[in-house]
Formats: sequence, C-alpha cells, structure tokens
Amino acid sequence: MSPRRTETGGLIDRLRTIRFTFDGAPYTGHAGDTLASALLANGVTLFGRSFKYHRPRGLLAAGVEEPNALVTVLRGEVREPNIPATMVEIYDGLVAVSQNRTPSLAWDISAVNQLGGKILSAGFYYKTFMGPVIGPLKGTRFWMFCEHFIRRSAGLGKAGTAPDPARYERMNAFCDVLVVGSGPAGLMAAKAAADQGARVILADLEAHFGGFANWSGETIDGMPAADWAQRTVGQLEGNDNVRLLPRTTVWGYYDGNTLAALERVTDHKEVAAKGEPRQRYWAIRAGTVVLATGSFERPLVFPGNDRPGVMLAHAAERYAVEYGVLPGQRVALFTNNDSAYRSAVALKKAGAAIIAVVDVRGEVSNEMRRLASDAEAELLAGHAVVATEGGKALTGLKVQRFDAMSGALSGDERSIHADSLLMSGGWSPTIHLASQAGAKAEWNPARQAFLPPKPTQRWIGAGAFTGSFSTAEAIAEGRAAGLQAAGGAASSAPLPVVEAAPGDPDPAPVFEIKAKGKSFVDFQHDVTAEDVRLAHREGFVSVEHLKRYTTLGMATDQGKNSNVPGLAIMAEALGKPIPEVGTTRFRPPYTAVSIGSLAAERFGDLKPERLTPMHDWHLANGARMYSAGLWYRPMIYGLAGETVEQAYVREARATRESAGIVDVSTLGKIAVQGPDAAELLDRVYTNMFSTLAVGKARYGLMLREDGLAFDDGTTWRLGEQEFLMTTTTANAGKVMQHLEYFLDVIWPELKVTVTSVTDEWAGAAIGGPNARAILASCVTGTPVDNATLPFMGIVRGRIAGVPVMICRLSFSGEMAFEVYSGAGYGTRVWEALIEAGKPFGLVTYGLEALGTMRIEKGHVTGAEIDGRTTARDLHLDWMLSKKKPFIGSAMMDREGLIGSDRLELVGVIALDNRALNGGGHIVEELDEANPHDSLGHITACCYSPALGKYIALALVKGGKARHGTRAFVSDPLRNRFGPIEIVSNHFYDPDGSRMHG
Amino acid sequence: MLITCPYCGPRDVIEFTYQGDGNRERPQPASQDLDAWNAYVYDRLNPAGDHNEIWQHSGGCRAHLRVVRNTLTHDILSTAFARGGHKAEGRS
Amino acid sequence: MAEQHLPEHQSPLEPEYHPGSHGNFEHGVDVILSETRPGSILQLAAWPGEEKRLIEIVGKVTGLALPDGAGGGVSSGVRAVFGFAPGKFTVADEAEGLAASFAGAITPAIGTLTDLSHGRTAIRIAGPKAEWVMAKFFAIDFALPAFPLGAGRSTNHHDVFAQIQRTGADQFDIYVFRSFARSFWKALCHASEEVGYEVQ
Repeated sequence: MSPRRTETGGLIDRLRTIRFTFDGAPYTGHAGDTLASALLANGVTLFGRSFKYHRPRGLLAAGVEEPNALVTVLRGEVREPNIPATMVEIYDGLVAVSQNRTPSLAWDISAVNQLGGKILSAGFYYKTFMGPVIGPLKGTRFWMFCEHFIRRSAGLGKAGTAPDPARYERMNAFCDVLVVGSGPAGLMAAKAAADQGARVILADLEAHFGGFANWSGETIDGMPAADWAQRTVGQLEGNDNVRLLPRTTVWGYYDGNTLAALERVTDHKEVAAKGEPRQRYWAIRAGTVVLATGSFERPLVFPGNDRPGVMLAHAAERYAVEYGVLPGQRVALFTNNDSAYRSAVALKKAGAAIIAVVDVRGEVSNEMRRLASDAEAELLAGHAVVATEGGKALTGLKVQRFDAMSGALSGDERSIHADSLLMSGGWSPTIHLASQAGAKAEWNPARQAFLPPKPTQRWIGAGAFTGSFSTAEAIAEGRAAGLQAAGGAASSAPLPVVEAAPGDPDPAPVFEIKAKGKSFVDFQHDVTAEDVRLAHREGFVSVEHLKRYTTLGMATDQGKNSNVPGLAIMAEALGKPIPEVGTTRFRPPYTAVSIGSLAAERFGDLKPERLTPMHDWHLANGARMYSAGLWYRPMIYGLAGETVEQAYVREARATRESAGIVDVSTLGKIAVQGPDAAELLDRVYTNMFSTLAVGKARYGLMLREDGLAFDDGTTWRLGEQEFLMTTTTANAGKVMQHLEYFLDVIWPELKVTVTSVTDEWAGAAIGGPNARAILASCVTGTPVDNATLPFMGIVRGRIAGVPVMICRLSFSGEMAFEVYSGAGYGTRVWEALIEAGKPFGLVTYGLEALGTMRIEKGHVTGAEIDGRTTARDLHLDWMLSKKKPFIGSAMMDREGLIGSDRLELVGVIALDNRALNGGGHIVEELDEANPHDSLGHITACCYSPALGKYIALALVKGGKARHGTRAFVSDPLRNRFGPIEIVSNHFYDPDGSRMHG
Repeated sequence: MLITCPYCGPRDVIEFTYQGDGNRERPQPASQDLDAWNAYVYDRLNPAGDHNEIWQHSGGCRAHLRVVRNTLTHDILSTAFARGGHKAEGRS
Repeated sequence: MAEQHLPEHQSPLEPEYHPGSHGNFEHGVDVILSETRPGSILQLAAWPGEEKRLIEIVGKVTGLALPDGAGGGVSSGVRAVFGFAPGKFTVADEAEGLAASFAGAITPAIGTLTDLSHGRTAIRIAGPKAEWVMAKFFAIDFALPAFPLGAGRSTNHHDVFAQIQRTGADQFDIYVFRSFARSFWKALCHASEEVGYEVQ
C-alpha cells in the first residue's frame, strides 16, 4: 500500500496497477490517477524548483491551474516540457522528469538564489543589465554576456530538439450548442439542449466528465454526485446529436462564435492506434455557447505559502475523494471563507486528522462551527497563518491573532505541528473565455471576484462561472442555459435534488497576511507581495505595467491563481478599490497549445504540391525538379557528371542548333468567354484584342490601376466570343482575381465568364530550327507550314490520335510552337513529340535553359515586372494603345512614372568573363570597401551559349542612354566585383529573324 | 470571424480575400481627372466603426461581396453580391 | 470529337493509387476512396436572369431535374449536376462528349460552357466515417440537414479548391484541380488511416 493512498474510495481503478518513472525512479499508480495523484500517493512532496529562487515546490492544485508541479514528459527522443503533473494521466511506461533543477530536485545548487532574495526582486533584470555607459560591456552587451548564465538558471523546462513524429490534425465542427465544462451545470445544459434535439458538443479539459460532482461528496437525486454525473454522461452518449469531447480544452473564443479547442487524443495512451493523431485542433462554430467553466480557488498570500505541503483546500479534497490520496496525515486549514470547512470534513472522512481550521474571520457561523467540530478540528477564528516550517516538506505552521478589518496581527505566535496546510482565499469564476469573447469583467464586492461580463457574443453562463457556487444553483442555471441555447422554453419541471454542505459563497476581503518572509502571489514566476509593492513604489500604477514589470501572471499558467490576489495587493498599495485598478483582459490561449496542433496536417510532405501532367515523365527521365510556388518544374535534365551550368548550356545550345522542348503546363490559363469577352480584354490589356482575328494569338500587357506593369502573356482567340488567356505561372491566381474583381464590382454589365483552365491543358513548347519539321512529322489533320501556321497563328490537329491546339509563338526566340492538349493526354502527346524529335536531336530542357534563352532575347518576367516598373521602364511602351482607355492608362503618365532617372531594362555583359549574380548592384565607380551609389540591380543572369559570355538583365537608372557604356557590378554580400558593359536587353537576334523564319 | 456569403452561407474568414475599401468610386474609364484617379487608387477612409468593404469569397463561389463590417467589433452587419443581379438561389 | 474513339485520360493519381485496405482497417474499413473518372466535367454559366433557361437546358440534355436553391443539385449515379456559384453549375457524366451535347443549346444569349473534363479530378469518399474525414479538410458543415443529398458546395483546403457534391447519405464526390489532385489524394489517404480505408 502506498503511504498516502486511502484504504477505499476514489474513482481510480485499484485493480489496475500502472508503472511509470519520475526522475528515473520507478513508481506505481492506478488507472484513473494523474501523475500528481500517483506521486502524492507514493509520498512524493517535492515536485519542482521555482522559477527564480529555486525554492522547493510541491503541489498547489489538482487541476489545470497547477503552477508548481510542471514536468517534462519524454516519449522516445521527443520531450514536451512544462506540463502540469495534474494534467498528465499515467500510463504504463510513462517517463516524466522534473524541471529547473541541477543536478536533482532534492539537491539543487541554484537554491542559493533564495539567499539573494532582495536582489532578484521585481525589475531585477531591467535594473541590473542596463550595463555601464562605456567599456567592453556597455549598453546591452552586459546583458548579452550574462544572459547565457541566467537562461540556464532561471526558467522552466527545456524544449526538445528531436523532430516530433506525432501526427496532429485539425477538425472542423459545427453545432447548435457548445457546452464548455462538464460539472453539474455543464451536464445539465448539455442534457437539456440535447433533449430539445439540438446538436450539442460537450467539451471538458479533464479526462472524465463530471467536474465538481466527481469529488464534491454531495448527493444528487439520492445518489452520489459522481454517480449522477456518470448516469447523465451515459444518457448523453446514447444521443446521436451529442459529441462528447473529454480531454479537450476550449482555449480560444473568437469572432462569430468560433472557438478553438485542443483534444489530447493519445497523450494518455501507451501507444497510439494506427493513424490516430496525438492531438486534434478543433475549430468549432457554435450557434450558442454555454460557459460552465467553473471557478478557481485562490491561494492566500502569507509568508511561506509556497512550502511543499501547502495546498489549495479543494485540491486536497479532490485528491482525497477523487483519487483516494491524502496529502497529509495532520492537516491544518487556513481560510477566509466557508468552502474550506467542507474540505475539512471530506478529508476527515477520508482518514486524515484535522488539527485546526484557521479562519481570518472573527465571526464564524454556527453551521461552520458545526462542520469544524464534525471534522474534530480546533477552530481558530480571527487568526491567521504567519509562517510555515519545514524544508522540502511541511512540518508545521505558526498562527497569530488577526483582525480582518485592519489586517493587524496581535498576540503571541503559536506553533502548530502539521504536515499539510490547506488554504482557501475564496473563488474566482473561470471567466477567461467570456473575456476573450469581448467585454470587460465586472468586480463583485460580495463575492470578492470578477464575474463574467454581459455577453457580447452568443454565450450563456451557468454555475460557478457566473459566481453561483452551489450545485443546486449550477443545476438550475445549467438547465436554463441549455434550454435557452437550444431555443426551448423555460421548464418548470422539478430539478434534481441536491444534498450539500451549507456555506456562504462570500469570503472575507482578506488576500494577504503581512508578516515577515516571502509571501508568494505568483508561484510560477516567483512574484511576491513585496515585488508588487516595490513596483508600485517605483511608479508602476497601471495594472498592465505592473504585470509586465513584475511578470505577475505572465508564466505558463497565465495567472490563474495569482491574478486577483495580485490586483488586490496593488489596489491596497494604490489606496483604490479593486475595480478601479482594473483587470487585464484574458487572451487566447487559455492553456498552452502545441504548435503541432496549430500546424496540424500542413506539415512535412503534406504541403500541397502542384504537378504538371508530365511530372512523372520528367522524374523518370532525369529531371532535377525545382519548386516554383507550389508547382514543381524541371530545372535541368542533367546528364551524368554534368553541373547545372553545363546542363542548361547544353540544353539551350541544342535548342538553338536543332530543337528543344519544355513543359509549359504551369502557365496560367484563363478561359474568357461571352459576348463581351473582347471588350473586357480591351479594357484590361494595354493593347487591342477586339481586332484580333479568330485563330490568332497576341502578346498582351496588363497594368495595375496605379499604372505600373502587372502581368504579360499571350491570349489566343479561339472563337468570336472565346479567348484563351495565358498569364505568367506566378501571377495566374492574381490575374484571375483581377478579372473577377472588375467583372463583379466595376463592370457588372459585361457578359463574360472567366474560368481557370490552367489544369485543363497540358502545354509543351517546342522551339528551334527543326521544330517545324518535328511537328510536321507527327501532327495529323493540319499542315504546319508557314502559310497555315504563320507567326501567332493557331491550328487544331491531332498528335498520337488526340486533339491538340498549336500556336506558333516564341519565348526562346527560335521558331517555336506551343502545343496544347487535354491534360489527361499530356504525357501521350509529349512522348509522341519526343519520339518525333529523335531524328532531329530534340532535347528536353528545363527552367534554367528556358531562363537563359529568354535572357538572351531580353524578354521580361516577374523578376522585371516587379511591381515597381512601368511599361516604359521595360521598353514595352509600344504596347500602350492610344485609341482606348485601359486599366492603368489614366495613372501611367504621372510625373514620377515618366522621369528620365527611372530604372530601365538593360542588358549587362560581364567583361571579366565571370558569372554575375541576381541582386548584384550596378555602380559607376567601384569601391569595394565602401560600396555606394547604386545605379540599379541585376534581375536575372546566366551564361549565354549563344554569345559565349556571362550576361544579365538589369534595371538601371536612365538605362537606354547608357547602352554601350561601361560600369561595374558591386555585390559585397557575395564578394563579386568587376567591370561590365551596359547594352540593349535584346542580346540575341534582335530583329527576330529566327522566330519569324 | 464568419462572413455570410449570400450564396454559400456563413463561412470562415479563411475562405475570403479582402479586396479593398468599398467606398472607392472608379472614375469613368476615359476620365483624365488625375485627382479623381488618385482618390480612387489611394484614398481610404479607415473609419473606426462601420466600414463598407469588398470581400471575395475566393475559397468558395468566388463572388465578390459588399460587406459592412464594424472595424471595432468585427461584427459583420450585412453582406450582398457586389454585382447584384443573381439572387441568392442562383436563379431568378 | 465523337467521330473517333479517344484513349483514356491518364489519371493524375496513378503512382499513389493503391487499391486495397489501408490504415487502421483491422476492425473494418470506415471509408472507401476512389477516383470516379467521369468522361465529361463541364462548367455551365448563365448570365443573370438566364438561370432558369439554363436549368431547362440541363434538364433536356441530361435528364436531371435541378432542385431549387443555392448549391442545389442532383445525381443519378451516371450523371450529376449541382450549383456551385451564382448562376454557375458543374455537370459530370460518365461518358465523354457531353460538351458536344450542350454546345448548340447554350447560346451566347444564355451563357457559356467550359469543358473541364481534363482539368478537374473527381474523388469519391464513401462510408460511415466520410463526414468525419471530410471535416478534417473543409470548414463546412457536412451533416445531412446542412448539406442535403445532391447539393453542391464550393470550398477550399488551404490552396486546394474543391467543389463537393453529396451523392449519398454517406458519400461525397470531390472535384479538385488536376494539378493538386495527387497531393490532395495523398492527404485524404493519410487522414483516412485513422478510421481504416479501402481504395477501390
């Protein structure tokens, strides 16, 4: 038998023993235990070292708000730090380790920090690490010097570096009613809404539904509350309209009643089933939300309140009743309210000796006196705890007379021998989600708590969340909320009958006992009451500043315990009432959320990839692929031993000498159809399309509304009212959206349909002196001679028995054709072209050779149409029609866009016969040590097999005027400097004789 | 945030693309009034409160919508097809 | 093009299409995945005010009666049609050549016809966990009352546009862009592992 496990009781399965390790030592527990309850049952009192002072810390709470007992759970190489031991369900083989200690929990060398307590007070880092004004450690250098040591000593768990192989998923859910929290209020709400036929989701962050009912010891409808809860859950399980989500933390409440939740699907399992995600991120769109999130018990602030063995009263009660574990044998309680009396009785029942109930209130009701005597406890009304004793475990405490009105202590200190001190500083409703949803919390002086604001979104509160702390109220409010949320009428049917201990929900307004010693407000960040007062003395009066200066409430627990006590102490220092000090707004997430769950399925190779119809052919034929946006395109088809440059030079040269073929399926393609199709094109392109003959293509340029260049491409007229527009690969989506915008918003009268047909067509561009002969040998149904297929002409025919469209147009500068076929025939047509090209030495070429040939020709792409250049800058002003207005025509002639010092497109030749770099600057005078006065920059570069030189395109100030002049490239980042000549961007075949044939 | 598309119903904001201030008025295509063009291209109201906006249901039916959104609360006060004409049912 | 028999379209899924049971199927498969490979996938668009006439034409050509309402649709197992945007409809047919049947009927006064038979890939998911798996991808409500039989929806999964038609109480046909199809298919298989799936 474990030293602290009770003989009977609890919701654990005593027949199932589970083995796990903590800090390397083996332990056992039972199914239903958390790591916290199992270790407590084994007599472990020391769970962690505190953040700054490395003080020994034990369990403070039993639930999600636990600030001290943070552990790291190891799964193979993967470590997940900073999980409250109270939220870790044990399983066979669980490996957990404690944090922030060196070398071990019991012997932590940094515990000497406690001696320097005054030094490490609020603002310590800000003040200390400003650094001297001069010298080697001036300014922030001192901080950077010290940071290394500080990071090692202060802090929480260490994140792992091993890749996380677990699967995470996102789920989208819709419901009429989302109930958050499954205590009596939540269960009643879910039941009432489900009975109305509503679609209900019930989520609870704990493993078991029931909340308070699981450990209240109360009776509902004549049965133990825990049984009533299980019966209700059973009824919900049988309802098809209800989705039950245990282990699911609703952590964010967003606009439009959209909520985010994290389900821990397999964290409690030894092994996940195949395909089962570790965690699921639920995005829930709820008609109405019922917030039944309960409340948190607050610690009292007094010297030594952080010693292991000092625990929240309800937590001890919960360990005893739900897990069958006693936190101590000799228990004292310290309270400012009635709820601790119930805890005392419960612990007495579970087998502990209740030594004393220390109550700050001088007047204690007869009912509470009776409970104290039921617990056989000495009642010390009008007393306060002023000190605790012990090292890594509590051995005793000291009490003194206390006046709740003045806060004054009097009389002699009295020592009490105890191994467990349970405190209750009142209760704070868990209003986080309501606060996230919008409005500001409201202070209730009777409850001494912030109550939820009036809803700004569609939610209804129920139970302790609203400040109604009794189960009877929770049940009534829960049912009413569920009915209202489901659109049902209020019910007058009798409610389940509750038998519960009596108690006044209002505490005495006492938060702190001012006595000598460290009194902790924020346990996780080691913020003391004195830190708060120091911040006030130093002028931090706003609660937001207080928070940041002291880091109160900024630890992983986000101040679930410390918020209200911290505010109360600040308010007292300011001499203002608490509501005037205000509270900070809670923001998502409510608890820590794994990044994995947010990334969900968009991880690793599950990023979508766009593949052309010939993708597999490219892979099978030696292509090295290149990712261009989401597309994958061949970069080169390298031969054995070839470098990238050798490969693309070979491919480009062979194309210019005989023929080459490239996959151009990624080009954006938009079907523009309808009676007004030509009119639309006249408006969006700078040049005319209404005059284009059917069966012809034209190169077009689009501007943005502000007159800058937007995109270019050829558009084919396939019919009187039907065009096939092509765009650059990168801008396909943007151009589509541009057209849709104008059709929907600006020109709704135009009858035009635009449809993305990028994926409908496979495209192969075949170019070179032999391209026409290759086509002629494989195309049936149409001649491809100059008369039938002139430059920019289109014919329809067949290749390999399937229909194709062929347009004679050229990007490479050679006699070239684009062959389009249905995407499902793409590989078939491609292979037929390759086969037909064999006698001609046809090469496949990739993006590198494509880019090389376009640079040689001086064609622009997205590198030059970069959102800053105009048509004139790119020497495309010949395309600007003067006969019609078009998008951008009114703005393109603004002063700044026509100046003579604009960056213009030029060609650049490296005079030192070395490769140039994209992004390298062009300068008039070379000064390697102090580069300055950029004239412009290189946008694209290559080795040109046609010229036998390293060339580039560049945007250079007053470009055209500089043709024939010399300058320098200056690229200090890559240490590339050297002489260049500025030339026309049309390096190769400037009169186009090759492509016109 | 949810936006109710008149065709598709309420959808998550991730399906939509903001397409700019809905108060802009485009001058006549042939207009040479540079001030008017400047105002159209660059001037924005940026109000604290209700704002007329254009959103495209780019991840859905792709229709552009006129949306009135409160910039302080993110409340969507109304949505309608920018082009008019089609009724929500997709037919007349 | 009906004058000559055309070869079968190459599926974009081929190297990743593995018939058989996969994932956590020891306790049975809860979804069945398949590529339906319709011979024709068309987009029909009506000018505002011409929707009714277009719907009549759809009825005449396909024999399918489109029900009222945004996203309304119907499927016969061989042919399917649904609205996916104002005045816009997707029609699919097992047979090729449906475009030719519509070509004369949809005049410029009514609207337009766009052949997407190659450009869209149709993937079917069926089985008791179909809604569950679909919910992993799309932020729309797949419950039967919210997404009735025959109805169509346009939505997206990250960059992957999808038109979805419910063609059975627990069956959905998903039309995605061909270039994304393999990537989406892989993701769909991955997401189905948990419930056990069979590729047919």
